[in-house]
Amino acid sequence: MTRRDFSERDIHMALDGELPGEERMAYEAWLEANPEMKAKSARYIADRTAMRAALAGVMDEPVPARLRQALFGQAPAKAPAWRSRWWLSAAAAVVLAVGGLGGYVAGIDSTSRGGEGDDQLAEQAIAAHVIYAAEKRHAVEVPASDKDHLQTWLSNRVGLKLVAPDLAAQGFQLVGGRLLPAGEQGKAAMLLYEDAKGERISLFVTAESAATSKGTYTAEGGGPEAVYWLDKGYACAVVGSLPPERLSDVAKSAYGQLLAGISS
Amino acid sequence: MDDKKAAILSEIPRLRRYARSLLRDRDSADDLVQDCLERALVRLDNWQTGESPRRWLFTIMHHLFIDQMRKVNRRGEAAMLPLEAGEAQAAPADQVETIASREIMDALQAISPDRRAALVMVAIEGFSYAEAANILGVPAGTLMSRIARGREELRGLLDDSSRRRSIRIVEK
Repeated sequence: MTRRDFSERDIHMALDGELPGEERMAYEAWLEANPEMKAKSARYIADRTAMRAALAGVMDEPVPARLRQALFGQAPAKAPAWRSRWWLSAAAAVVLAVGGLGGYVAGIDSTSRGGEGDDQLAEQAIAAHVIYAAEKRHAVEVPASDKDHLQTWLSNRVGLKLVAPDLAAQGFQLVGGRLLPAGEQGKAAMLLYEDAKGERISLFVTAESAATSKGTYTAEGGGPEAVYWLDKGYACAVVGSLPPERLSDVAKSAYGQLLAGISS
Repeated sequence: MDDKKAAILSEIPRLRRYARSLLRDRDSADDLVQDCLERALVRLDNWQTGESPRRWLFTIMHHLFIDQMRKVNRRGEAAMLPLEAGEAQAAPADQVETIASREIMDALQAISPDRRAALVMVAIEGFSYAEAANILGVPAGTLMSRIARGREELRGLLDDSSRRRSIRIVEK
């Protein structure tokens, strides 16, 4: 039997069927003698199994008609412009990864306080605002230019019929929105707005509320203020660092429009 | 001619799977496959009859993918504005994914395109190192290091996401 030193490289070769058959036994013996390498091998195998499982369904899907047509010549000769944009989703993965991390940080901030009811909602809304409103490029997951999709998507996730309020009269334009965790299991929609000077406010809406109340809240030590309402079945907070009167004005308008949307 | 098309047709499920692993979003992946099929039809004469069209088609698709990735990189950050994030989010409602599937697909998208292609080509599509190196147009040593680094990167990302999940923070 051939005798040689194995290395991590051989784990990949063994996994990919590239290890010569006559080395297989010696390799297995080496794995047994090196628990760390054995664990690594097992982990790679598990990841591969998961990857295969995640993609297995694709093979069973029927071939889409448009691909069949492309092959058998009934497709338009010129590719439609939108189609050459498939690669954008790859670029978007980078953005999503950043968004995920942001949510992680926001989550830690909001759950570690452990407040109750109203305060908890307000704290979560403020934590989200502090993190995302400060982001120039990654503030939102879906931009205002895709407003219809934004509203549908967030409505489906949050479980409320959401309409992004028009706050132009108060000087604010919609930037976009994102989905966030809320409470123990829930989800919240965050809508971000900006005025001509770049001042940002956010709306935080969730379907996680059994109580009815309203009020304003500022974290100990200052920072942005939240104006919130809890109604049966949903809760809303408007967060920003505006003069109280202006924030209250924005909040009233936003609340009225959200309410009209939810009950429409 | 029709024999060739029939042979190509039977490769579509694999091409779709590979595209899905590269791009995740179903429509985007099918767009890539469609681009690949259209280019293949123009170059039908380059394919020797009697040979499996698989490697030929994968090579075409890989070139399309890598060309676009390079363009994205050249455009730099402009292509990474949140505008595109919304498009990637718009997965069809019928795509039911388990948490495990979603995590692994997310992680796969987060590793570099070169490593992703190399890893998937071998681990999912079952090409040998020699075949994959040929399709990707890189030396075998480069392929192997991409696979090794890809697996390691994937593992790190999955560890991160399970850590996040364990404290129930991120909801997607």
